[in-house]
Amino acid sequence: MDVTLGLLDHIPAGDDGGGGGGGGGVPSGGSTTNRSILTVSKEDNKNTMVMSSEVTSGESLDGLELGLGLSIGGGGGGGGGGLKSKMVANGGGGGWSQYARILTAKDFHTSLVSKPNSCSSSSSVNIPNSSTSGTKRIATDSVSPPNGTSVVGWPPVSKAHRMPTLANQIKSPTENFVSKPEQNKSKNRTLGIKDYSDERNGFSNKKYRSVKVNMDGTLIGRKVDLNAHTSYEMLAQTLHEMFFSRWSSTEAVKPSRLLDGTSEFVLTYEDKDGDCMLVGDVPWEMFLSSVKRLRIMKNSDSNELAPRFQETNDSV
Amino acid sequence: MDLNQKRTRTVDRVDSVDPDLVSPESTPMCPFPDEVLEPVLSLINSHKDRSSVSLVCKDWYNAERWSRRHVFIGNCYSVSPEIVVGRFPKIRSVTLKGKPRFSDFNLVPEDWGADVYPWLSVLAKAYPFLEELRLKRMAVSDESLEFLAMNFPEFKALSLLSCDGFSTDGLKAIATHCRNLAELDIQENGIDDLGGDWLSCFPETLTTLQVLNFASLNSEVSFSDLEKLVTRCKSLRVLKVNRTINLDQLQKLLLRAPQLTELGTGTFTQDLVTRPVADLEATFGSCKNLLTISGLWDTNSLYLPVIYPACASLTFLNLSCAALRSFELAMLLIHCKSLRRLWVLDTVGDMGLEAVGSWCPLLEELRVFPADPFEQENVAGVTESGFVAVSRGCPKLHYVLYFCHQMTNAAVATVVQNCPGFTHFRLCIMNLGQPDYVTNEPMDEAFGAVVRTCPNLQRLAVSGLLTDLTFEYIGKYAKNLEILSVAFAGSSDLGLKYVLGGCPRLRKLEIRDCPFGNAALLSGLTKYESMRSLWMSACNLTMNGCRVLAKEMPRLNVEVMKDEDSEDSQAHKVYIYRTVAGPRRDAPPFVLTL
Repeated sequence: MDVTLGLLDHIPAGDDGGGGGGGGGVPSGGSTTNRSILTVSKEDNKNTMVMSSEVTSGESLDGLELGLGLSIGGGGGGGGGGLKSKMVANGGGGGWSQYARILTAKDFHTSLVSKPNSCSSSSSVNIPNSSTSGTKRIATDSVSPPNGTSVVGWPPVSKAHRMPTLANQIKSPTENFVSKPEQNKSKNRTLGIKDYSDERNGFSNKKYRSVKVNMDGTLIGRKVDLNAHTSYEMLAQTLHEMFFSRWSSTEAVKPSRLLDGTSEFVLTYEDKDGDCMLVGDVPWEMFLSSVKRLRIMKNSDSNELAPRFQETNDSV
Repeated sequence: MDLNQKRTRTVDRVDSVDPDLVSPESTPMCPFPDEVLEPVLSLINSHKDRSSVSLVCKDWYNAERWSRRHVFIGNCYSVSPEIVVGRFPKIRSVTLKGKPRFSDFNLVPEDWGADVYPWLSVLAKAYPFLEELRLKRMAVSDESLEFLAMNFPEFKALSLLSCDGFSTDGLKAIATHCRNLAELDIQENGIDDLGGDWLSCFPETLTTLQVLNFASLNSEVSFSDLEKLVTRCKSLRVLKVNRTINLDQLQKLLLRAPQLTELGTGTFTQDLVTRPVADLEATFGSCKNLLTISGLWDTNSLYLPVIYPACASLTFLNLSCAALRSFELAMLLIHCKSLRRLWVLDTVGDMGLEAVGSWCPLLEELRVFPADPFEQENVAGVTESGFVAVSRGCPKLHYVLYFCHQMTNAAVATVVQNCPGFTHFRLCIMNLGQPDYVTNEPMDEAFGAVVRTCPNLQRLAVSGLLTDLTFEYIGKYAKNLEILSVAFAGSSDLGLKYVLGGCPRLRKLEIRDCPFGNAALLSGLTKYESMRSLWMSACNLTMNGCRVLAKEMPRLNVEVMKDEDSEDSQAHKVYIYRTVAGPRRDAPPFVLTL
């Protein structure tokens, strides 16, 4: 069963990006994925981690806003209208017309909320991303995954044979025209490809951007999809899952402490000039544009780095 | 030609052979001299047949090895490149497969191996005129691609399927230096997409392209360069663009290449209508040779109908990127009378599958992929009734890949009764350990029915709640089974023992998360050399059991992947394969060859 998962925007370049095995040296490649629904957690049940989060980008929220109130038939102006009548003709007896109706906010609400966060649901340890899931996934934050779903590589859906789709957005089991969110998405993307500002251009167009993460003392590095995160907290959470989940009971390494320099480890990155910098000093967007790779250093090694400012929870 | 050379060679060989040992067939009285044998053998393309030919006698072995042009290596570690080039002097096309299939599902760590570079450096010396290279699940670096581009002046066809480790820079090298390139087929996921300018590296003089597939890349390419490329490559028959190509651009491309037989579209919807849909439809109508359509991202009822004029002759429709509703699929399929292969997402639902059964009587292959595989709540998708509906309308169905959340034994039995010709039956009930949801019994009888009713079954993937009984059935009845995939199934060692004790044609066995232990592993001692490989992960194997196997069977590589989480004595991931090349020399630290 080598079926490729329909992912949100593209194929994650890092299916091997899961790395040999995080901090614990777990060799199985829990892969990072793009910022869509796919989550592959670690195989070992006691060490299950969520590797990356799902869509929270501004793009999807834009799609949400723009999509409200737009009608299907009206989307294409004359062309659309013409096509609609054609649809009816082809549909053989008005069977189509019932589907070509104006979408209202009600449809959106139903279709989107009813689409649970599969990312969350497939994690058995914790769901770090649920708090940042965005408006679409609120319904599922409380879903606890049934036993056995938090298994790496299951269902056996590979990325190899399928191409990414927005199929995940469509959840309503009814026959509504819920493909509308897709249309809006593509609308934004079609325009967006040309319209993105330079700052976001380099990596927003790349729907997936992975950087390597190495931890001192660990042989095998991992990869993290930066575009799947929207804040330092999220990133720290993910890294915590990757490298420290076994130690989660100890206070010594809590996710937030990776950022504030009070734990045994400190999170640093190599920027495009090759310099080693502390993570968290610059705004998130700026960080994204300059980071090349990440490194979790032992605190004692980091003394030569620039002193940091106090980190707050709202740093991003 | 080479014939004179070879005749001398044959004569030399025969003279040096001890006459007492020479069998009648290999004396100079052989009724088939080389001049006859070789042209005859060169018509044989199947590598299995060629294997058989080479076993007949020494003459035939030699004639076969001189006439072979394409070599297929199903496991890159089963043989060394030196052995291959030593045996086959005149190869023009190589197919290489690397990592175990479960690497698609992240069960194989990064840096496991299957690097193509060592192969390339040997191939460059032995086959400087190599024309084709097809790689699957190999680790390919940009350096490898550059090496390939620079060292094989006649290189024509590159196909990369599920490979990783390279970036678009490597593609730049291929585009720039392969002057005779006819095929560039990139279907994989582990690529670092640094931009679309690789496409602009094709020189203006390149007109030989026949196949171009970059659907899985993300970056925008220069459309004007693409259009020029398509225009000057008059033999282009396969064009699969990526998602950044919009409808207007697609139309332009189609007008330039009406001879296409396989088309992968880009985004198949638009918001700003710059051209009425009727135009697009007419363009599709003018593509009289289309056999395959794929892509169709984001399509919907407004735009999908533009392909209707091209549907009558379609044999393969890949809708796995288009989340269609049942009625959208139904409207489309009305026009697809010749369809043989169909891939869809489960958004089409059972009703969509009923439409398949109604409109596609010639259907041979159906794949239903889950739109949202990790979803547990509010799952729609397809059920057993859609499966049965297809089988009723499509008696020629012989390949199925079906992802669902529920299934019954009775439904599967009905399906195989309707379609006894199954060769590939891959059923994935996505909820782990799910029994028959009507009777609450295990799914044993379903797969029992499959193996009993389908004598031609070559490939089987099982799922759902399964006891050892399933494997008893498989071992007993699946005489032609070659590939078996098992996950979260079985009750004891007996399960695996049944399979290893039966299934005479078994070649690839991949198992994960089953309660099979050392006793079961060792019961197949004599079988593994007749198989390509065995994968067992998260079963009950221990290092000692694996060591025993390794000791008894020196011609197998018994590799254990170390997992720091598990006990030292546990063998968490085991990969066993036959080889004539000995233990791997490039094994990373976490792979232990016993």
